[in-house]
Amino acid sequence: MPAQHSTLLGVTRGLLWLMLGLVAAAALLVLAVGIALVAVWPDVMVELKNSKTFIDPGIIQPQLLWMMAVLAAILAVAAFVLRQLQAMVASAATGDPFVPANAQRLRRIGWALVAAQLLAIPLHMIANSIAAAHSEFAGMGGLSLNNILAILLAFVLAAVFEQGAAMRDELEGTI
Amino acid sequence: MAIVVKLDDLLHAKRMTLTDLSERIGITLANLSILKTGKAKAMRFSTLEAICNELGCQPGDLLVHEADG
Repeated sequence: MPAQHSTLLGVTRGLLWLMLGLVAAAALLVLAVGIALVAVWPDVMVELKNSKTFIDPGIIQPQLLWMMAVLAAILAVAAFVLRQLQAMVASAATGDPFVPANAQRLRRIGWALVAAQLLAIPLHMIANSIAAAHSEFAGMGGLSLNNILAILLAFVLAAVFEQGAAMRDELEGTI
Repeated sequence: MAIVVKLDDLLHAKRMTLTDLSERIGITLANLSILKTGKAKAMRFSTLEAICNELGCQPGDLLVHEADG
């Protein structure tokens, strides 16, 4: 394998671990916020009132808890996608990425991205219903063109890998 | 498969071993073994040519079509 490729793979591997770390940190944060919402709700409410981000902070505890649950689910999906990518990078490092397993991984990534996009819609609806208009919070989640492009890309690449794996298989049986 | 590789018979007729053939035509013993046992999915023309040159045979001597069943 050319040195340039192995460097690129090394950087990718590092970035994936970094992103997994960030996802883990975000999950801890979501958990902490969730606990705070239940355990010290009166104090949280006062803070929310001061921030002027929400229309009526007094009645939004259930919505915020739902949002934390949805965010936790999205983070779980993100971790799943990153793990699949790590497995793909590992197979590329061995010099043989065109295997049926990678086509399956890409397809799983595609479906995971679909799930993340579907979860982002209720997230947006809840955020939009409780936040003051024009606040940054109100714009959370929702349909994203980037997400849809990523989903299409994952499924197209899965088909490409499937074809590549079939061609590779045929070539290996050629004497 | 309906296509049968008659490499064993040709080698026997020439009193040659698979290892000899492998050394003469520069194809690994493992690959020739796959070819001989009929496990290969495809064969390059260059391989066919090398084997025919070495064994003095026609492609039809090496590959025979036999009806299934």
